[in-house]
Formats: sequence, C-alpha cells, structure tokens
Amino acid sequence: MRVVRLLLVDDEARFVETLSKRLTARGYEVEGALGGPQALELLAARPFDVVLLDVWMPGIDGLEVLKAIRRLHPGVKVVLVSGNASINAAVEGMRLGAIDYLLKPVEIDDVLAKVEEAFEKKIIEEADAAR
Amino acid sequence: MGARRWMRRLFGRDRWRPVEVPKDSRASLSLDYLTFKDLTTSNDELLEIIADIERKLEGGTAFGMAYLRNRTVGCATHTYRMIICLDKLSSRRYQELHLVFASLQKRLEAILDRTRPASPGTPRLVYPLSEVDSSSAAEVGGKSANAGEIRNRLRLPIPDGFAVSTDAFAAFLGHHQLAGEIRALQLKREPDDSSGLNEISQQAQERITSSDVPPALVEAMLAAYHELCRTHGSEPRVSVRSSAVGEDGEMSFAGQYTSVLNVDRAGLVDAYKEVVASLYSPQALFYRSVHGIPDEDLPMGVLCMTMVDAVASGVACSVDPNRPAAETLLVSGAWGLGVGPVGGSVSPDTWVVSKAGAREILTSRLGWKDTRVDPLDEGGVAPMAVQASERQRFCLSEAHVRELADLVVMIESHYHCPQEIEWALDRQERFVLLQSRPLRTAVGERAQPPPANEIDGHRLLLTGAAASRGCGSGMVHRCTEGDDLAAFPAGAVLVTRHSSPQFVKIMERAAAIVTDIGATTGHMASLAREFGVPAVLDTRDATVVLGEGSVVTVDADGGGVYEGRVERLLASSAVAERKSVVGTPIHSILREVASVVVPLTLTDPRSPEFRPRGCRSFHDIARFIHEKAFEEMFRMSDRVTSATQKATRLDERLPYLVYLIDIGGGLRRAPSPCVRLEDIRSEPMCALLRGMMHPDLRWWEPRPISVSGFLAVATESMLSPGGGDGQRRLGDRSYAIVAEAYCNFSSRVGYHFAAVDAHCSESRSRNYVSFRFKGGAADDGRRARRCELIGAILGRLDFQVERNGDLVNARLRKFPRDATLQRLDQIGRLIVATRQLDMRLGPGTPIAWYVDAFLEGNYLFEPPGP
Repeated sequence: MRVVRLLLVDDEARFVETLSKRLTARGYEVEGALGGPQALELLAARPFDVVLLDVWMPGIDGLEVLKAIRRLHPGVKVVLVSGNASINAAVEGMRLGAIDYLLKPVEIDDVLAKVEEAFEKKIIEEADAAR
Repeated sequence: MGARRWMRRLFGRDRWRPVEVPKDSRASLSLDYLTFKDLTTSNDELLEIIADIERKLEGGTAFGMAYLRNRTVGCATHTYRMIICLDKLSSRRYQELHLVFASLQKRLEAILDRTRPASPGTPRLVYPLSEVDSSSAAEVGGKSANAGEIRNRLRLPIPDGFAVSTDAFAAFLGHHQLAGEIRALQLKREPDDSSGLNEISQQAQERITSSDVPPALVEAMLAAYHELCRTHGSEPRVSVRSSAVGEDGEMSFAGQYTSVLNVDRAGLVDAYKEVVASLYSPQALFYRSVHGIPDEDLPMGVLCMTMVDAVASGVACSVDPNRPAAETLLVSGAWGLGVGPVGGSVSPDTWVVSKAGAREILTSRLGWKDTRVDPLDEGGVAPMAVQASERQRFCLSEAHVRELADLVVMIESHYHCPQEIEWALDRQERFVLLQSRPLRTAVGERAQPPPANEIDGHRLLLTGAAASRGCGSGMVHRCTEGDDLAAFPAGAVLVTRHSSPQFVKIMERAAAIVTDIGATTGHMASLAREFGVPAVLDTRDATVVLGEGSVVTVDADGGGVYEGRVERLLASSAVAERKSVVGTPIHSILREVASVVVPLTLTDPRSPEFRPRGCRSFHDIARFIHEKAFEEMFRMSDRVTSATQKATRLDERLPYLVYLIDIGGGLRRAPSPCVRLEDIRSEPMCALLRGMMHPDLRWWEPRPISVSGFLAVATESMLSPGGGDGQRRLGDRSYAIVAEAYCNFSSRVGYHFAAVDAHCSESRSRNYVSFRFKGGAADDGRRARRCELIGAILGRLDFQVERNGDLVNARLRKFPRDATLQRLDQIGRLIVATRQLDMRLGPGTPIAWYVDAFLEGNYLFEPPGP
C-alpha cells in the first residue's frame, strides 16, 4: 500500500502542527507550509498526493493558491479548509476543482475521510490514465 | 419473452437511450463511477443537513450563528458539487442548473449578509449622556439609552457620564479583524458542548483584551472623560458597564456581562476592553445560544458613569415578579455598593410596599448583611466586613423606602411596563438611580400555600424566598462559583452558597435551585424565571442541611424544600415552560435560510415541471440531479455492453447474470472471464451477494401464483406504455461496479429496477448505503403497496426512507463497518425477495405482516400454516 503524501497549508502554525502530528500518527507522510508561496515551493520540489489548503490566510487569497496548484500540478488533489464560512469561496473553490470545502473546526475523522477519498480518487485516476 | 419484447417495442418508450457522443471524448468508466459516487455522497450529505435544519426549525435545541453559517455553506457546497458531477456525467446537458443555483445562492448570501454588522461610514464613537434617550438604543445599546431616558426625559437623578457607541465596538473589532477570528473560534464548538465553551470564551476574551483599541477611539473616550472632569470640577472615578444591543430588551441578559467599578482616567481603556470581552464570557455565550441570538445582532456599547459614593444600594421591582397582580412593589438593599445585592453575594433587607395610596410598607425583612462592597482609593472595589451593630439595622429608613417607592412608580408609569431598577443612596441621603430595565414577571397568578411541616410523610427541611415558581425534584448537587459546571448532572438540584448569574450555564439541566443567600430581585432569580427553573433562595443554610446526593423536592411556589420526592407537589405544580428558540431572532434567520434550501416541490419525475427551471430550492436541485444521475448511470452500463472495459462474469447461483467491472482493488485476481464469490475483494459487494444468495430465498423453486395477481402483472406489462424502467432487460445482464471498498449494483430484472451504491470501510464517516427501487409491473395500487413495504422494511433496518408513488430512495450513513455490511446483506435478500412479491402482495394482508415475514426470514412470504 502506498503511503499518502499530504501537504498542510495554513497560516496558523499551531493548527498545522497539531494536525500534522495526528496525521503522522495515522501513518501519513505529512509536511506543513505556513503560506501559499512556501506550499508551491514544496510542491515543485517533491511529489504530493493531497493538499489540505486553508482558503483564508491573511494577505494571500487561498483560491489563487488553488488555481496555481491546479495549473502546475493537475494530478494533486486539493481539499479546502476554511475558518470563515463563505458560500462564495466554497462554490468558487469547487468550481476551480477542489475536492471539498471543509469548515473549521475540522474533526480529525472528517479530515482523514476526505484525505482518504482524495487519495483513492488519485490512485484510480492514475490507474485509468495508465490503461 | 419474445412476445414481451415485441410488445415493448410496440408500446414502450426507451428512456435509456445511449448518449450520442463520440466515445473518446468521454471520460473512462472508472472516472464516471467516481463522479457518480461523489454525487451520491453529496446528495446524502445535503439530505442530512436538510433533516437537521428541519429538526432545528421545530425549536427546542439551541444553535448559534456559527451553526447557521456552517450549515448554509454545507448546503451550497454539496448542491454545487452535485451540479458539477452531473455536468461531467451528462456532458453538460443541464446547464440551466447553474443559473438556478446562482439565483438561490444570491438569496442565501443576502440573508447571511444582513446578519453581519454594517461597516460604519464615519462612525460616531462616543455620545455624552445628555444626547441620548430610549430612541438611541441601536447607537449606544440598551443600558446607555435607558440611562439617557431617565436623565433627559424623566429628569430623575442619575450620575453623569458618556456612552461609547456600538460603532466604536465595530471599529475596535474591525481594526484587528477580531470579528472574523472570533467567528472562526465559534465554529469550533457544537452548540451543546459546554466544556468547549469555556475554552472558546477564554481565547476570544484573551484576543480582545490583548488587542490595542484604535487610537481614534482612545482619543474620543479621553475627550469625553475630560469633559466629565470639567463639569464635575475634579477627576471623578467612573463605573464602566456593558450596554449591549438587545440587553435589557425582550430578554434580560441579567448579569451576563462584566462591569468594572471605580475606574480612573488611566484605567479607562483597559476597563473598556474588559467589558467588551465579557460579550464572550462563557455564561454570555451560553445564554445567547440558548436564546438563539446571533452574536452579530449584539454589538456591545459601553456606559461610563461617575461613581456614586453609596451608603446603601440595591434593586427595586415595580411589581412582585412572582405575584404580578398583587399591587405591590419590592425593594431590596444592603450596605455599600450595589454589587452585593444584585450579584447575590449578600442577603439583602427586603420590603414589600403597597403601590396604592400612601405606599404603606406591608412587610419588611432584615437581611444578613455581613459584607459590604466599597470603592478603594487605589481603584477597584473590595468586600469589607460589616460591624455587628450595622448588621442588625435596616439599610433604609421607612421614609427612605417610601421615597424610593415613589420614584419606582414614576419610572414604571413612564415606561408603561414593570421595571427593575438599580438604585443607590449617597452620603447626602439622596437617591440616585443607576439603571432601569423591563422586569420579567411570572405569567398568571397562582395561590401560594405556605410550606407545611410535612407532606405525605416528607419532612420540610428548609424555607426560603421563592424566586422562580414551579416545583422540581432531584438529587442534591452542590456547587460553588467557579466549579466546573460541565460536570453538573442533568436533572439534579443545584445547591449553592451564593446565587450567581454564572449558574445560567446549568439552568437547562437543573431540576431546581436552592441557595443559602440571594435575593429574588437578583440577576440569577430573573434568569431562573426566564428558564423556568424552580428556585428557592435565601434559605440561610441549604449547603449545610441538604446532603450531597440526597433526593429533595423543591417547592418554589410555597418556598420550601422537602425530603425525598413529593409526588403530590410535583403533580400539582404547573409544568414550567422551558426555553424554546422558536420566535427568537436566530430562529427567523434559520427559517429564511430554510425557505431557500428545504422545500421539495419536484416530486414527480414525469411532471413537465421536472426540469432545471422548475427547481425552487437546493432540495429540488438535488432531487432533479439524483434522478438524472441514475439515468446517466444506466447510460454508463450501456456503454459497457459495447465494451471497451473488461467485464468479468460472476459464476454463482443467482437470479441474474451478473457482470463485474473492477475499477480499483475490487477483485483478488487479474481480470479473467469468470470469477467466484471468493475472488471478490470488495467487502460491500460480497455482503450484497451473500444476501442475494441466501439459501432461504429459494427463488429457484417454482411456486403457485394467485390468478388475480398474475393477471394484474400480465395485463399491465402488456398495456402500459413506458410503464417501468425495467422491462427491457428481463433476464438480461446486471452490472456491478466494484472497488476495494465500493460497489454499485443495478438490476432491471423482472419489472423492477433496483440500484445499490455503497461504500464500506473502517473509516466510519465515509460509510454509506444508498438504495433505490423503482417501478415494476402490476397496477398502481400494487406498485404503491410494494414500495410501501420496501420502505417499511428499510425503515426497520435504520435507513432514512423517502417514498413517492412507485419510487423508493433510502440511505444509511456513517454506520460502523460491520453494521453497514449487515445492512447490505439484508438489501441483497430484499432485492431477490421482492421479485416474488409481485404475485403475492394482495390487498387483504396488512403491510406490517409482510415486514415481519421478511425480517423473520420468511422470504417466500408464505402465509402461516394452519
């Protein structure tokens, strides 16, 4: 079984830290980025399966980061997370190709389920492309 | 068979025409099934949110603005995801859905936007009290507005001061994006989780008190204070108190917010922050969530008034809250500042005064005033011991009481409703009013028998002041202020030394409240009345007499506490009305949101209104998409017949010829022409098949057919054009799409159409089973009965069932792995068992009999033997 390579992007260092600790404990390979530019650097440097992306970071529009990820790394699955419930951001995010839009606070089980779902989707897509 | 096929060609209308798109422009089958699965999942999530909204609409459960936003965004996300999925499956056949969705989205955004505070243009930050009155409540909050009213309209004595506006509050919170941060914090909590509440409260308050007040606001406050010094002739100390919008209105918020007393110039700004932060005190958060008040509706104004050098102070109620018809008013007071008698830490002197004529004092009761709160030179206040001689003395003379009664009557007649008034008596023996707010009184009048020494053998343990009527019984649970109230057991009787508004947090759970000390005019008493919790206060030694864990009955009509459970009292006491959120501001916002999300108007797929333009709500959109998605799913399996995909035949004894298509880890072996059950790795598929292969089903045996039943089936299949989705494939193949934890099985065998879509793994929150059954031969009455039966069986198996005519949609979500597999097994049996039902489902036997027969394993529905 392949290990899920996950990238957490959130300006809240504590959120990244706690979540990555818990996800690592579940056998995921987790990296954290505190902002969009850092996330894009990491994505360029090595492969990831799933990105958990905060859409509401001060100074950066998370949706712009999403656009960039979709353009540069179309195979990577992106799950949006937001502390600010906005219908518009949710709809726009889905339109841009995010898998889902989760609202903070996120239950660890919900995150796991979403990441797992995204990963499965990626595997099936890859298998399909190889056929 | 040949004849039937021929008939169908004559009469039937094929709904499942293959899509006419060039093959290579289409996504592969695997990807289509992933999309179909996403669609199903979002449909389930949306329906679950809708069900939850409907429950909340009934009232009774608390929820906050965070809940409302969260759910609204959830609805929009899932609806939109369904639209995207259908776009992919149908090659964008239903583009109009986007327009319909956009207009519904706009409506929802408008509803939610209205609840955010308007951003101030050029806000006025501070108003002198001379410029406000009761019409200024929106600008300065309730308490400041009432203070202005008393000063400027009633022209009664009240300390001078100024009001910091609600715009100032918005400017402060907006300055640091505090509002957004706090909203995000709030999202972290389930409304009924009271332990999480303390944490959120602490974080929110910390954020507020550690942020700088914008310079313009600091300047404005200091300028107003300077003006106060000019008129006052010296640098007065001030009290800094909350004046939230909505406070002191319909709901009292009694004592939910902080007041900072005896503040000098240097402490002004910090005191302001402290008061603002108390908007997020645990009890305030709780109070708002129980009353359904969105935070956004409560911008916090702050009132700064010069301190009164008080000899005595207290509260007066213009009517007795428990006996509103009695034409009496209540005065209570104690030595020093008003903190003691209002907050409940001192047992005050009380007087009952006749409102008629010369304000005759009907009763006077000496309190237990062992402490008094005094201002300190260095700022702040502190409790001091009261000398023994002072304790024995009333804090007001009878002449004072009558003078105060006059003021109270004046204020009540000005407001035309019962008032609760805070007062102080200064060193010059002049009364000064501090605030006035509407008084909540008990509804109706009931006789109040004095407590008897014994009722039915239950001893009277204590007597006290009845503060909130009713009668409650439960185990004694003692608490002190600052205890972890999250541990308070539901249905217990709270026994505590002092009354405190903090106990609002357990009022939904407490059977009754008994205190040693506390006044019926205090904050906690009004909260108890609001929550309908029986309360007997001021019993002097409840915490000594009532043992932890013992059962008592609190008779708050008579003012007594009895040993054990006194059924007679409990039976005779009116059931107190507990809080409901129906009719509160947040409830009406939810109703508006629901009007966009919940109503289902598209029920009949055959109606001409069943089209994108006919969708009036998210529910309609979901219903439409769900229906169309199944059509697309059949188109998908049609594509398999012209197969590019390798289908594997299942070599097991089944009433259908089943072909399996593995889209990822569903089979143990590489694709081969045929496999057995043990070659399937997909757990949900195995469970379903095991159900279909259950030996008791005995579908292979010939069985007798009732003649009328057979005729009904035969006639319908010959005469009804397009009468079902299923006729084409009689005896034809069925397809199952499998992945490791997923299966999608559809059959159009016999006259039925049944589809199962399921995911099952160890991560419970992803597990679901979605089952759809449609059509069938036989006349409409039989179809409806069959669907009723299937619906009833699924209901007994814990499914959420939606039934409309000859269509059943059922779903089961988030069950553990084993339970999910067990349900799939049952569905497998149900699919096969219902094949034989056509002939048997006569009108004579009640549906319930068939349900029981199925659940007992009588899959042939054989009538009980003689």
